[in-house]
Amino acid sequence: MNHAVIVGYVRSPFHFATKGALARTRADDLAAAVVKGVVSKSGIDPNDLEDLLLGCAFPEGEQGLNVARLVSFMAGLPQAAGAATINRFCGSSMQAIHSAAGAIAMGAGDAFVCAGVESMSRVPMMGFNPMPNPALIEQMPAAYVSMGITAENVAKKYAIARKAQEEFAVASHAKAARARQQGKFADEIIAMPMGAEDGCIRADASMQALASLKPAFDQAGVVTAGTSSPLTDGAAACLVVSEKYAKDHKLPILARIKSVAVAGCSPEMMGIGPVAATRKALRRAGLKIGDIDIIELNEAFASQAIACARDLELDMNKVNLDGGALALGHPLGATGARITGKAASLLKREGKQFALATQCIGGGQGIATILEAVS
Amino acid sequence: MGSGIAAQIANAGVPVLLLDKGDIAKAALERLGKAEPAPLMSRSAAKLIEAGNIEDDLAKLGGVDWIIEAVAERPDIKQELYRKIEPSRKPGSILSSNTSTLPLKMLMAGMPTSIQRDFCITHFFNPPRYMRLMEIVGGPETKPEAMAAITAFADEKLGKVVVKAKDTPGFIANRIGVFWIQAAVNAARNLDLTVDEADAVMGKPIGAPKTGVFGLMDIVGLDLQPHVDASLRMALSKDDAYQSLPSDFPLLTKMITDGYTGRKGKGGFYHLNTAGGKKLKESISLKTGEYAASTPSKLESVDAAKAGLRALVTHKDRGGQFAWAVLSKMLAYAASLVPEIADTAVDVDLAMKAGFNWKHGPFEMIDRLGAGWFAERLASEGVAVPPLLALAAAKGGFYKPTHEGIVQLDADGSYKPITRQSGTLLLSDIKRLATPLARNGSASVWDVGDGVACVEFHSKMNTLDPDSLTMLMQALEIARRGMKALVIHNEGENFSVGANIGLALFAANIGLWPTLDQLIAQGQAVMKALKYAPFPVVGAPSGMALGGGCEVLLHCAAVQAHAETYVGLVETGVGIVPGWGGCKEMLIRHSPGPRDPKGPMPGVMAAFEQISLAKVSKSAAEAKEMKYLRRSDGITMNRDRLLADAKALALKLVAEGYKPPAPIELHLPGPTARAALGLAIDGFARQGLALPHDVVVAGHLADVLSGGATDIVDAVSEDQICDLEKGAFMSLIRTLPTLARMEVMLSTGKPLRN
Repeated sequence: MNHAVIVGYVRSPFHFATKGALARTRADDLAAAVVKGVVSKSGIDPNDLEDLLLGCAFPEGEQGLNVARLVSFMAGLPQAAGAATINRFCGSSMQAIHSAAGAIAMGAGDAFVCAGVESMSRVPMMGFNPMPNPALIEQMPAAYVSMGITAENVAKKYAIARKAQEEFAVASHAKAARARQQGKFADEIIAMPMGAEDGCIRADASMQALASLKPAFDQAGVVTAGTSSPLTDGAAACLVVSEKYAKDHKLPILARIKSVAVAGCSPEMMGIGPVAATRKALRRAGLKIGDIDIIELNEAFASQAIACARDLELDMNKVNLDGGALALGHPLGATGARITGKAASLLKREGKQFALATQCIGGGQGIATILEAVS
Repeated sequence: MGSGIAAQIANAGVPVLLLDKGDIAKAALERLGKAEPAPLMSRSAAKLIEAGNIEDDLAKLGGVDWIIEAVAERPDIKQELYRKIEPSRKPGSILSSNTSTLPLKMLMAGMPTSIQRDFCITHFFNPPRYMRLMEIVGGPETKPEAMAAITAFADEKLGKVVVKAKDTPGFIANRIGVFWIQAAVNAARNLDLTVDEADAVMGKPIGAPKTGVFGLMDIVGLDLQPHVDASLRMALSKDDAYQSLPSDFPLLTKMITDGYTGRKGKGGFYHLNTAGGKKLKESISLKTGEYAASTPSKLESVDAAKAGLRALVTHKDRGGQFAWAVLSKMLAYAASLVPEIADTAVDVDLAMKAGFNWKHGPFEMIDRLGAGWFAERLASEGVAVPPLLALAAAKGGFYKPTHEGIVQLDADGSYKPITRQSGTLLLSDIKRLATPLARNGSASVWDVGDGVACVEFHSKMNTLDPDSLTMLMQALEIARRGMKALVIHNEGENFSVGANIGLALFAANIGLWPTLDQLIAQGQAVMKALKYAPFPVVGAPSGMALGGGCEVLLHCAAVQAHAETYVGLVETGVGIVPGWGGCKEMLIRHSPGPRDPKGPMPGVMAAFEQISLAKVSKSAAEAKEMKYLRRSDGITMNRDRLLADAKALALKLVAEGYKPPAPIELHLPGPTARAALGLAIDGFARQGLALPHDVVVAGHLADVLSGGATDIVDAVSEDQICDLEKGAFMSLIRTLPTLARMEVMLSTGKPLRN
């Protein structure tokens, strides 16, 4: 079997939707910048690219049509390469990586740009025209449950207290602020015309400030804006190639894709999705959770991240070393490429053996990727 | 105050440069967006103001037509500024001072003729957006063209009542207003009235705002009073009647020292006691200086005033004595000041009405008392009767209605016509001379000339009832039979606060369902007739246009709105949904335009958000942003010009060959949209933003706006949406929480949250 390896990872700066610095930037422009960036940074010959796989959770408006194809034009990829837009909501761009790995395994191409984008400023969550099926709502209201309510449900079922969520959020901001201060994002961020600095990190996040917030989704609830990832604009991209291709062309390998998995769960508990997906992926890799050195666990909400960490018995010292989505932001379609690319580069940076990237998905799913170092 | 004036100029769509020292203007501009009541009418107005500073930006004055100085009230500071800006000023540009206390001759002493020729005083009242008076004072050298240009601009663009005042201390409004306050404070203390009692008399019963005098001082700022008093005493002659009013008031001095300077300070004659988490209104005792719960006055004279001003001032209780003590002095003083402070009595009346929000000016008050009676009573008390008052007493009053309109008494003893600015047309002037074409208890139809008919609502608060609807229908028939166009306009405080929910509540309480059904059907039929009339129907609102009042405007061919028009569909507040085509029209207006996201949901969601939250615009400009008004609708800054502008718009539409609109068919997603809105409602309920009955009302609204049992491929007619509106209304009016909302609204004027 041909193994897939990750040889490049970049992202745009992440900014608050609507009030942030990217509010006036179109999603296709944002995506084109990271696609162009990951290709030129890796030094790959663009003529070898098989396909651009672009994740997007609400592919309409400016990120509509087959936005991947339009982005391939804007990024100057050869017209001979293909382009597909992929939607698995928050798991979209991790799915792009999985699809590339699968294609490489069956010999259907050597090199793929796996990217993701979301402008939550310019295309609202739920899209411009939310049109749920009335019969399905009647039969299964949870099919359309709002994400905030799922975070409340998870908090309740797993007894995650508000204070624990707030401690988790403060820690995420602290880690991200420290990483930024130490220049640890410098090699992953592609500068946009407005700059290269992230906009969502609050270095001064404190327990007192978080405690003062009102519940955001349920007046009797425990989840606030401070313990939810913000609506974010951003894009991320990974370059995924066959191991042979990488070695032949002397591309710098960050990590090998060891195993992947998706798993469904009940939609009203979507935040717990990473647990089943991770267990499947571990089994496929023949590993135990204790074998994993680096973990990127997406922080859609503090409550679900904590619940997953507890259920999987994660060593928190290994989780989200440079902060997570609570601090950095969560541009839905882009997050999968960010955490997978981040896990791969952390594996290299920290000199470790195995890494896990996993996230929950609206509608009740989890997705996971296990990476290993290539010596 | 400079920033407030700048805001009103920007509201008129005119670019303004706001200059101060350093960053002060920049900070003031930022504050404008947050101030309450809002000085700006729209977000776009803010963009017309450019903040700068005197140090760097003087050169920009070269492009400016009118420079308004509003710096500290010191002649040396003002004169230094005039000299400083003179080299940068465009030749022939106009320079004016917003001084309220300094005479023009002092400001112009020693100034070069080039400045004197272009200089006048333009005295605005605070806050400039809401107070209509602007006093204008010219000097001996001032060019008449400059005075005419400023007068026209302030009148037409800024919506001001411009009154020409003489160069005398306090000009007109403050000269009389300060006298009134001082006289009232003294009389209240002498006659042992409480603050609450004094304001109960000196407010509504005399036609002044309910704040009376003590409440007014709280708004203006107590600390201002000694300054104004001192400067007036210094400037006025020794024998001026103001000098005889004692100003010694130890409690006021103590309050100022202790920081009780009024609403801007810790409180004033009134304050809100928030101890214990409750807001308790308290008033101060004029004797002890202690605060106690504010209690409504029980004075009989206040009730007696309903029979007229004379009934008030002749009442035997302390309130009546107080009213006489204050009004006799103030009115005699005003009568003694013409022509010293203004050319005519009508100018004084205009200034007091526009500057102090009085319903009647002093000379109108004298006529209400009876000039002869008033002069006699003054004489009987040994008070000198001013010559002008004696003349009015002999002639039978200051004003008289005639066939040519109202005439006013001239100093030569003859009556002369009151000239209105050209371009103003007042329905009240027309009404004095004509009989209505049709009339019932709630509305009338008038011929306003040039083939235009005008429907006037005149029920209580201009609520709409079956009579109002009948009269609208009758007006359409009258116009169809021989007129060119119809205007809907009135001079009430509010265009219409909506349908008469008292009637609806009454009918619901006794189960008169067919009557309610008929009320909706009649309203829908009238709105449809307005919309599809073969001639243009132009709405001309001012003040609130809510609920049914808003629906009337939505069905007009065009609207010419006064800038201060507050529009909204507020039905959900009383537990119902718009039933006279309001839902239908907002669906049409929110249909995506070329720049909006496409698809069937954005329009439905926008209409849902606006109606479910009962959003009301804070100006006509904002009503356009909210689509209650069309982009093409007109806005008139000066209320006195509204009817003339509306008439002109109607005639313009006629001249352009007006054709009624073609009926519109909508494609609505039906149950799919209902499901999407249902998700949103559930979310609001979970977040605690929607209470249980809000959920019910919003659900019915969602039924209507989604188009009912339709499908996206089917066309829905206007009539079908009207049927849905009626169905939703009839369901909601049968629920107890809706009736509870109506009851509370009727009894308290405030919405019930249930």
